[in-house]
Amino acid sequence: MASKLKETILNPIFKGNPITVLVLGICSSLAVTVQLKGALVMALSVIVVTGLSSLVCSLLRKTIPNRVRIIVQLVVVALMVILVDQILKAGEGTYAIDKQLSVYIGLIITNCIVMGRIEAFALGNKPIPSLLDGLANGAGYGLILIIVAFFRELLGSGTLFGLQVLPASYVPNNLVILPPFALILLGCIIWVHRALDKDLQED
Amino acid sequence: MNTNNNVYTVIYTTVIVVIVAAVLAFVAQKLGPAQQANAKAETLRQMMAAAGVKPVEELYASKNDQILDLYAENIAEAYTVDLKGNKVADLSIERENIKLEEGLKVQNRAIKAGQGASLPVYVFKSGNIVIPVYGAGLWGPVWGYVALKPDCHTIAGAYFDHESETPGLGAKIKDEAWFREKFIGKTVEWGDDVIFSLAKNAEATGATNAVDAITGATMTSKGLNEALNTWFRAYEATFGLGAFFNALEEHAVSETANTEEE
Repeated sequence: MASKLKETILNPIFKGNPITVLVLGICSSLAVTVQLKGALVMALSVIVVTGLSSLVCSLLRKTIPNRVRIIVQLVVVALMVILVDQILKAGEGTYAIDKQLSVYIGLIITNCIVMGRIEAFALGNKPIPSLLDGLANGAGYGLILIIVAFFRELLGSGTLFGLQVLPASYVPNNLVILPPFALILLGCIIWVHRALDKDLQED
Repeated sequence: MNTNNNVYTVIYTTVIVVIVAAVLAFVAQKLGPAQQANAKAETLRQMMAAAGVKPVEELYASKNDQILDLYAENIAEAYTVDLKGNKVADLSIERENIKLEEGLKVQNRAIKAGQGASLPVYVFKSGNIVIPVYGAGLWGPVWGYVALKPDCHTIAGAYFDHESETPGLGAKIKDEAWFREKFIGKTVEWGDDVIFSLAKNAEATGATNAVDAITGATMTSKGLNEALNTWFRAYEATFGLGAFFNALEEHAVSETANTEEE
């Protein structure tokens, strides 16, 4: 049982990462990875949303009418997303970051990872494993987000978390700031991931 | 239990939606005041950054309460005007009841429609007069606050913000201090065809009412240029030559009235 729980937590972060293996949640990972700070808040928000949505849907799993289950899931996910957004807006310290992320917090609703994990895991498993699965998938997403944001902020602005780290003589690369570069970077991460993990390689 | 029959499905979805709606309504009510306070403090920060009350970094490092204190200490009067330059209403400047005109989007629409606008004017104790501008950038709205010196002609400072311009490109209107500092000392040419010009190579013409557009952010610059000109045009009757003529006319009317009395 313990090893199964460990597997539930670790698999989505590394071997079965939702972005690099399932290739879900790509859109927002292109949009919010220009700066580390934004990426970190986005990652935390997604972790909270996937975790709580999976938990609630798992608690409701035996009562949800099968024909409308997607709609019920959507309502639960939307609730969580709006709660996160409202709380970020109300905090004195988080208000500026919420403004910076603008619509992308709200668009977590459309992040395939959230609904995907509810469908694939939460509806067939007990609440605690579902919660962990949701949190871990959010963390897997967040990990990639932060890796991408690290390179984009470093090469695109010469800073990390807003602090200048590259010498002032470094000329920021404008391509890095634009969304296509995130796609290129993501491709490289998927390449490295597949090269390291023999199981993921196709013949 | 059969969870697939129609009655169950309808009741189930109804109950879920009602519960969710209740939770959201409750949260919105609880958090609403905090969110509004954040939004108001944000607006005050930007206005005071434009007016030069304190450096931008200091304003953003201050808590909301300190911002309210600072505003109450530095503001002289605040009111709204219409497109003809007539005063519409006073905006409270008391510490506990600070009123701002925050619906810039609505006002922008009113300006375009040519009627019903109530445009805010914030006069600081330093003599600087802060007015807002608002328009469409590349991805979303862009807006800002421009502070005029007491002569209503020279720009004392400016602060710009945006909802979702590209970081590193259009977002420079907010992020780069050099951009807003370029506006200091420039002029607003009330009554001219081009009141202010934010365009490529604009500074090279030697005009005092021109600032160069940002390289790589053509659309954002264009949007901000449009915002500046639209709003300056709307304030023309208040600050421009029109205001002078209006005053003259009123003066003439009262003169005639006086003569008649005699």
